[in-house]
Amino acid sequence: MAAAPHRGRRYVALCLLLAGFGLILFRLVNLQVLQAAELAVKADRQHQKTVALEGARGAITDRHGKVLAINMEVPSVFGVPTALDSPSAVAQHLSPVLHVRASKLEKKLRQDRSFVWLARKLDPEQGRRLEALSVEGIGVVMEGRRFYPKGPLLSHVLGFAGMDSQGLEGVERRYDSDLHGEKRIMVLQRDALGRTVFPKGLAEENPAPGHNLTLTVDEVIQYIAEKELEEEVNRRHAKGGTLIVMDPRTGGILAMAVSPRFDPNAVGALSPDRWRNRALTDAYEPGSTMKAVLAAAALEEKVMVPGTMVFGEHGAMPVAGTVIHDHDRMGWVSFAEVIQKSSNIGAAKAGMALGDHRLYRYLQAFGFGQPTEIDLPGEATGLLKSPKDWGRRSLASISIGQEIGVTAIQMVTAIAAIANSGVLMKPYVVSEIRDAKGQTLKRILPHVRRRVISPETARTLTTILEGVVTNGTGGKAAIPGFRVAGKTGTAQKIDPRTGAYSSTQFVGSFVGYVPAEDPRLAMIVVIDEPHGEAWGGVVAAPVFRRVGEQALNYLGVSSFEPVKIAMAAGTRSGRTER
Amino acid sequence: MKSMTSLTILAGLLLVFTFVWERVDVVRVGYQVERLKVQKTALERERDELQVKFSKLTSPERIARVATDKLGLVPPQPGQVVVVHPGPERPGTAEPAAGEVRLAKNYLAGRAK
Repeated sequence: MAAAPHRGRRYVALCLLLAGFGLILFRLVNLQVLQAAELAVKADRQHQKTVALEGARGAITDRHGKVLAINMEVPSVFGVPTALDSPSAVAQHLSPVLHVRASKLEKKLRQDRSFVWLARKLDPEQGRRLEALSVEGIGVVMEGRRFYPKGPLLSHVLGFAGMDSQGLEGVERRYDSDLHGEKRIMVLQRDALGRTVFPKGLAEENPAPGHNLTLTVDEVIQYIAEKELEEEVNRRHAKGGTLIVMDPRTGGILAMAVSPRFDPNAVGALSPDRWRNRALTDAYEPGSTMKAVLAAAALEEKVMVPGTMVFGEHGAMPVAGTVIHDHDRMGWVSFAEVIQKSSNIGAAKAGMALGDHRLYRYLQAFGFGQPTEIDLPGEATGLLKSPKDWGRRSLASISIGQEIGVTAIQMVTAIAAIANSGVLMKPYVVSEIRDAKGQTLKRILPHVRRRVISPETARTLTTILEGVVTNGTGGKAAIPGFRVAGKTGTAQKIDPRTGAYSSTQFVGSFVGYVPAEDPRLAMIVVIDEPHGEAWGGVVAAPVFRRVGEQALNYLGVSSFEPVKIAMAAGTRSGRTER
Repeated sequence: MKSMTSLTILAGLLLVFTFVWERVDVVRVGYQVERLKVQKTALERERDELQVKFSKLTSPERIARVATDKLGLVPPQPGQVVVVHPGPERPGTAEPAAGEVRLAKNYLAGRAK
């Protein structure tokens, strides 16, 4: 009789136990089978962290490996407004470190959002100060920022990269696909404390950095060019200036300076006009520098020889209802003197002797009216009309550098062809692309475009162009101890209001090469709208001399004057001296 | 029979411990790798910072400014720098290797006296 209640209790206990196990089993099936997929995703979200990583942007160096642009990890600061108790106090705290007004920060921190950028790509020092502050609800992440350690040096060639490391101008833009690093989404495993254990699979590597570029530019010659150009532009109160130094044997650009300069580290406040590389984008009427190209064509076609006598018409010659003037009233002069004294009338006559089609053919052969295909963005083609569109005066005008638009890079490439025994080279600024480990991926070699004149014509023309400097309008380009060949140019600008030639706005230029017997440097100097005297021989030729002298000295090019130097150990002869 | 069972249990336990130890060690090495990665990143950052600083300090613009303003140096005047391409040591001997000697002219003049 007494066993019945015990048995009843046992049954109750058994039922409860079974119900308990049943519940557990039900929960287990629910979690492991019914909700398995959903929960697995949830767990992954908690254990894994997905981050978008980008390899560092490649560096840009000059021909000797001097760093001109480099990427650096710098701090960016964000806020979590929903996690802040007192946005105003936090804003006050951060303001002196971020150099941003407290009211502006507070406005951002009061937004109803869970993430807001407060300042991006700060200096490393600011990052360290922020870490020391350790403010709740404020976080720091590292982002790649582009640095141009030399400031404005070579800025128009380098260009710059944007906030998200994309190339926007110059080499940065042209070679963006080589420079930017690999972008990759990575999954990291986190523990219960949120610490990263290791990426999924230890073998997973960080995204590859971008490739490094080596330029043909020499930072010292670039510095010399920028310094001298800037000084002359300031001295003449000019609107601007352009200077290009090229190795005529290869077409490699040694320096490309544009004034005024800009600092690519701080482009935010500048207008696009400031960072435009006017050496490539702006066409101008070259004026008398075009006579060097005209002479090349006339000599090559044998319509002129240096001794051919040309009548100077005593300074005025009617052409197609207009009059072409010379600044000096000349009678009979040789063709060499026409170039050396920069006679417009003599040049117009040489052009007429050539004829429109032959002149046009040579202008095209020298690369006018078409891009030089330099490896920089934004190059203009210039303006060269087809002979069928020429007016009655066009042949004479083009012969003296009017009715034709050229860029500085076209003109220096053309003069470099004369320096290079008549062979036109393609200009370029990047000579090598290397990966992050230093392995060469691509070497850009000098590229011959075509032969435009014979070596004999180039030699004859060089002698004539040397006369420009020794006896003609380019005397101020003379470099003691070196033979300089070149041509001056002074062109009136078109007044945009009247559409006619301005009597006050000029472009003064000088284009040439040195040493004339074995050219190492081809150079163009263009001074835009100088005040006062605007002759190319006055404003541009002295810059050519100063840059040429320092660059030759830096390159260790010896002059033509042979000297004997007595050394302590004996007597040696050297081909040197200035 | 008893000892066989004990041995089997022992081997099983050993296997379980080895497995647990291996898992724990993998996690430990994972943390170590992560610490080293953080250290590597910090060192790379420092290297980049130093490279930027070095580039700024060796900029020709800065060197020229320091040379003129602080040290009172002046650019060489025309004719003051001489580039010498050495000729043969003595008549009849072979041409020396291509090279050049750059000397300040004043120094050269002093040596020649």
